[in-house]
Amino acid sequence: MAPLSAVKVEPVRGRVSEEEWKVRVDLAACYRLVALNGWDDVIYTHHSARVPGDENHFLINPFGLKFNEITASSLLKLDVEGNKLLESPYDRLLQGFVIHSAVHMGHPDAHCVMHTHTPAGTAVAAQKNGLLPVSQKALRFYNRIGYHDYEGLADDLEERERIVKALGSNSALILRTHGLLTIGKTVASAFETMGFLEDACETQLLAQSGGAELIMPSPAICEHTAAQYCSDDLTNVEMEWDAHLRMLDRIDPSFRD
Amino acid sequence: MASVRDQVSEAEWQTRVDLAAAYRLIARNGWDDGIFTHNSARVPGTADQFLINPYGLLFEEITASCLVKVNMDGTLIDADEDTDIIDAGFTIHSGVLEARPDVQSVMHTHTTAGMAVSAQKDGLLPLTQKSLRFYNRVAYHDYEGIADDLDERERLARDLGDKSSIILRNHGLLTAGSTVAEAYDLLRRLEHSCAAQVAAQAGGGELTIPSAEVCEHTARQYDSSGNNQKSSEATFAAYKRSLDRDDPSYAT
Repeated sequence: MAPLSAVKVEPVRGRVSEEEWKVRVDLAACYRLVALNGWDDVIYTHHSARVPGDENHFLINPFGLKFNEITASSLLKLDVEGNKLLESPYDRLLQGFVIHSAVHMGHPDAHCVMHTHTPAGTAVAAQKNGLLPVSQKALRFYNRIGYHDYEGLADDLEERERIVKALGSNSALILRTHGLLTIGKTVASAFETMGFLEDACETQLLAQSGGAELIMPSPAICEHTAAQYCSDDLTNVEMEWDAHLRMLDRIDPSFRD
Repeated sequence: MASVRDQVSEAEWQTRVDLAAAYRLIARNGWDDGIFTHNSARVPGTADQFLINPYGLLFEEITASCLVKVNMDGTLIDADEDTDIIDAGFTIHSGVLEARPDVQSVMHTHTTAGMAVSAQKDGLLPLTQKSLRFYNRVAYHDYEGIADDLDERERLARDLGDKSSIILRNHGLLTAGSTVAEAYDLLRRLEHSCAAQVAAQAGGGELTIPSAEVCEHTARQYDSSGNNQKSSEATFAAYKRSLDRDDPSYAT
């Protein structure tokens, strides 16, 4: 199979720190995995990562590329206002970036921010009761997810503060009428959280088919399970991420370019 | 990794190949869940040893040689220091294999359709021919949290009773067979039944359910056909030929 990426950009590996390069490879892998899972939305939505050692600099997708075309070198490096710090033939979608930069700046631990518009995520976002504790996967978010009311396309800079407030100390946020957002200390962690949330949303919709009566564990079991998830260290996340990277390498290693 | 073929009995090797094939088939069908969930098979000729996936591999990466041998106490046998298995997997699989000497293989998934039906109060409905195989023949186990409590094994075994399939509430599906092929065949039928159920329920259209007599009659046809073993073996052999054409590395 020919590599998916036919996009030619100047390699930047020699022009950035080794730590930044590693984050670039992980973020490019994240875009490829989102595309493989069908969580992408043509050329829209974003996944961003903080540049190691430069807390006000961020990596994000070049606007116009499909997620399966993104490579480590093609990612844009922007400052908090959205100015490009390395030249690139590509531009950025400013309105998306301001949401991401706001979340990064509002949460020191948010080294990666992911955002999707999947039908399942958007559907649960449209349900008044939001995410229900109907599956083991959903219990990870039991009383541990924020909600942000819809205000229109996110071009109002004042909305940034309200998004940060709605996220609070959680790692996941449901954007009403709009989609999902997760954060993580690493790209791997934000991706793992997004995978749980996406599966939880899809399962909820399937379980609700036709208005079937649902079973939900007691609040005590829900809280117990959520605490079990919280006590997990990062080992699982890194192990799972390595497995994902091995899969991408078998399919098309061009994300590493 | 190095092949263990020369270090195990021929019967164990065949079980390893079949179990690795089941992992590959589950991955191919999209019933896998990253590096989580697990499928097991008892080591032939033993009562207290079984094979399960090493923690950290995708199902598409599983081979006959990489499967980990573990006993009912959770002790890994002939494993190197870096090898680990998932605690919750050990709890669930040892619980079923210890309680049911007739069971040789156990499969467990977290598919969205399976989790969805597990969350519905009425559970699996007799909506399709495939689901009638499970008519009054599928068990339910209430959710208790992530399965890291070994005491849950007793409750799981009690809820399963003498059945071959169990719906883990708010969690997923589990099937048990007298061979890997049979456990996989049951899983395939249960997955299809759940996917068909949520598809049929979409939109809340009125559903047609056969009479109780027809449901029971059909279930008994499945019970007594005597061909389940034969058909599951024939089906599984066909699937292995398909895997052999795609990527025969599972059998290494």
